[in-house]
Amino acid sequence: MAAESTQQFAALEAQAQILMTAFTKAGHEAVAPAVIQPANVFLDVIGESLRARTYVFTDPEGTELCLRPDLTVPACRLHIARNANPATPAKYCYNGPAFRFQPQGADDAHPREFRQAGIERFGDMQAETAEAQTIALILKALEATGLTDWSLQIGDLGLFRSVLNAVQMPERWQKRLSEAFWRPDAFRAELQRLTTAPGAAAKALPADLVAVLTPGDIAASASAIQTYLDGKAIEVIGTRTVEEMAEHILDVAADMSAEPLGAKSAALIESYVRVKGDALSAGQTISTLLAGTKGGTGAALDAYDRRLALLANAGISLNRVQFSAEFGRSLEYYTGLVFEVHAPGLGADSPVAGGGRYDGLMRAAGAGADVSAVGGAIHTERLLTVLNGGRS
Amino acid sequence: MSKLTLAIPSKGRLMEQTTEMFARAGLTVSKVGHARGYRGEIQGLPGVDVAYVSSSEIASALKNGSVHMGITGEDLVRETISDADTRLQFLRTLGFGFADVVVAVPAWWIDVATVADLEATSLPFRRVHGRWPRVATKYMNLTRRFFTAKGFGDYRIVESLGATEGTCSAGTAELIVDITTTGETLRANGLRILDDGVILKSQANLLASNVAQWTPELEDLRAGIVNSLTTLKSA
Repeated sequence: MAAESTQQFAALEAQAQILMTAFTKAGHEAVAPAVIQPANVFLDVIGESLRARTYVFTDPEGTELCLRPDLTVPACRLHIARNANPATPAKYCYNGPAFRFQPQGADDAHPREFRQAGIERFGDMQAETAEAQTIALILKALEATGLTDWSLQIGDLGLFRSVLNAVQMPERWQKRLSEAFWRPDAFRAELQRLTTAPGAAAKALPADLVAVLTPGDIAASASAIQTYLDGKAIEVIGTRTVEEMAEHILDVAADMSAEPLGAKSAALIESYVRVKGDALSAGQTISTLLAGTKGGTGAALDAYDRRLALLANAGISLNRVQFSAEFGRSLEYYTGLVFEVHAPGLGADSPVAGGGRYDGLMRAAGAGADVSAVGGAIHTERLLTVLNGGRS
Repeated sequence: MSKLTLAIPSKGRLMEQTTEMFARAGLTVSKVGHARGYRGEIQGLPGVDVAYVSSSEIASALKNGSVHMGITGEDLVRETISDADTRLQFLRTLGFGFADVVVAVPAWWIDVATVADLEATSLPFRRVHGRWPRVATKYMNLTRRFFTAKGFGDYRIVESLGATEGTCSAGTAELIVDITTTGETLRANGLRILDDGVILKSQANLLASNVAQWTPELEDLRAGIVNSLTTLKSA
């Protein structure tokens, strides 16, 4: 449903004005990032899967560009361009079009062009305060347009990391499990591998190579690998280095003698992934799960509780807040809190708003280091549909 | 009466083998007018117009229905048309133009035998080099579909329209997706095919477009051509 009729256009404009007024009143500066963006940043952050759902094109000079698929990355780039120190605190808001290619054909539920109104804030020291304020402001703006019947869905990748921390396992396994978390199938397969046969992959490595490695010493192992390759007259080509390979092979080889992940640890991880329900009791369930583990309940759960308390203080009724451990698994650049606002009649796959914490995105956009970043955006056509009683 | 347009490859081995195959089936294909022209005919089948078109454009022409039938490699069809099975009919495999579309990595990557291994090395690569590993290919769609099906997304495609095997040693890509018949060129360039890296085993196909304008007369002509080629194959 692009704003093709005059009436639709006027209604969207009026609605956007209400949203932007709410945002600017809360101290967010209105900005208008460029519609055409370098494709690199998006492809590097989100990966090649993005190309399948983004309008990527090559300009006459051969530079790869794209029509922005959202306004978050453009807002990051704008912030970096303005500030020599990207950690400088700032609060922005925007309202403008974003573009997604729809492989199955565009329709009302899957528009190729839609308008996002949203907020981003960078450089905050108080993480949970910034998160709670972001959610509260998005809800306040939605309510200002007349949306009353909403529910809030939250997830927290920080909690998942603390669950991994709580379990006895090598750091390399933690790293692999958190990387696989984005892909539920890969995650299950990895967990299965760690609990049954962690050394299976190592069997594929040549035994005479594994024999000459020095566990824990990348440089020594790299030179052993180089000697091994020279001996077989295999030429090293390309940009990957022998040191990189040594690091990976040492990890794989270490798995060969590793004890499988204990059944209790695996069960803990699986129980966590299944946690789902109202936000308060979900917190208690997780607290019970983590009690008595190596890492204890940890800082992430404290942060979770603090965030809920701040939301309650902001006047948000916590029985409208649902937590799901699995939530956030398909949203690739988030690093902590993730949230979606749902409204009746739109369906589970079509939230009216969403956002979260994405501390790594600034680095990917060129900031040189991670920067605290949290934001949220409203899908304005969907909002209008709900307010019109489901009619477009 | 409208004619049936048959697109056949305009140059190279694929054109020669196509012409030979038709000849063996008793169908003499020849150019009309100038020898460097791009129109032809089949002796005894006045209802057929032969169009000499580059192999990759044959796939596009079948896709949009501007030709009725065509001969080209399955690799090009699958690359050009995402819903090939609804837009086209694969009438016959032709037994030539064999080529495998494969994922190949530097042979010295002894820690990488499968796509899953590739995934395990992507993030460390990014930590060191600040970007995802690059895949050089002219098969951008096949590559993306294949890796997506394997749950692998941590890579970047760089388009390569020629000498793809050389991109790894030139340092412009970390791995490639390309066609190979014997694997000799890959080996000569220090590359190795992943154990689960065969994306498609391709060969030349006789294809019909489902979106072209068909009349009962044209369908009869099509059946005749398919028949001649089938008799040949089973002979």
